[in-house]
Amino acid sequence: MVERQPPVAARGDTAESESALIDLARAGHTDARETLAQRYRQPAYLLAVQMLGNRDDAMDVTQDAMLRFFTTLDSFDSERRVQPWLFTIVRNQVRDLWRRRRRRPGDSAPDADSLTSQLVAPGPSPEADLRRQQLREEVWRAMDKLPAEKREIIVLRDFHDLAYNDIAQVLGIPIGTVMSRLHGARRQLRARLEEGGRHA
Amino acid sequence: MPDACGRTFDEAFLSGYLDQALVQGDEQRVRVHLEDCVSCRALLEDLASVRDATMSSTFDIPRDDEWSEAPRTGTSRLLRGLGWPLVTAWIVVVIGFGLWETWQDADNLFERLLLVGGLSGVSLLLISAFLDRRHAMQTDRYREVRK
Ligand SMILES: [Zn+2]
Repeated sequence: MVERQPPVAARGDTAESESALIDLARAGHTDARETLAQRYRQPAYLLAVQMLGNRDDAMDVTQDAMLRFFTTLDSFDSERRVQPWLFTIVRNQVRDLWRRRRRRPGDSAPDADSLTSQLVAPGPSPEADLRRQQLREEVWRAMDKLPAEKREIIVLRDFHDLAYNDIAQVLGIPIGTVMSRLHGARRQLRARLEEGGRHA
Repeated sequence: MPDACGRTFDEAFLSGYLDQALVQGDEQRVRVHLEDCVSCRALLEDLASVRDATMSSTFDIPRDDEWSEAPRTGTSRLLRGLGWPLVTAWIVVVIGFGLWETWQDADNLFERLLLVGGLSGVSLLLISAFLDRRHAMQTDRYREVRK
């Protein structure tokens, strides 16, 4: 049931092999498509689940996003990197889903603790590890309560390790505003954590 | 909090510093200030520990075979969702019509009793299938594919 993933699944792949894969996939090579799907489905799913808090919805969004990714492959500039582009698609799909369900992007996740329940708990481990895991749970519980626009920027930077310019691309905002938005979001997350009693 | 601390840069630079996203001059300004300012240092440490927790988190992810077996698009799911009730309705109408016709033609009590028995049996089965179907769709829409 449970698989573990490195924090950033697509890191370490050279841009060269990525653009070669894109070219092959565009030319209709099924293997290249399958490789791309396997490589990027996981980060796409993680972003989706972090925004939606629900496994089934996240799987739906991921599959729709991958489908869209492949149908728009021709318009993709293979010099650019895949992940920010795919994340833009995922984000749009998430917003479409909210629109269909009449939720506003500013709303926080509908059920509290939905993200925390998706966390993988560590096995038997030293007390220090348990404390770290406890902090992780508190962080994601607090993240659940953040408005989506705050949550997404933190998740893109701190979980998916996107650079500021990639974040600007995904969110469609000027790169000069990324740092202040991110800081505001981190401040709010910290405030939520304090409300939750971390610093009590 | 650290507004009175005398820093000469926007507080957001602390995030930029944490992310190593500042240009050299700004990075230096922040570093020098941090050496003297306890409150900015505390804030930075807080942000760093929260970021570390986020970064090191691991989530449940679907297995590879769950992806290949799941319905491919929202449309196929929608069509399937529509398909089952339609099929059920069709069966109910066809069987109901057949039974009604037979009922009209039946000429003794025994044949009618036979009909009522069959009719109630079939309806119970249909209702149970429908309830199962509805339950499956509400709880786990991939269950039938998985087994
Ligand atoms: Zn200061």
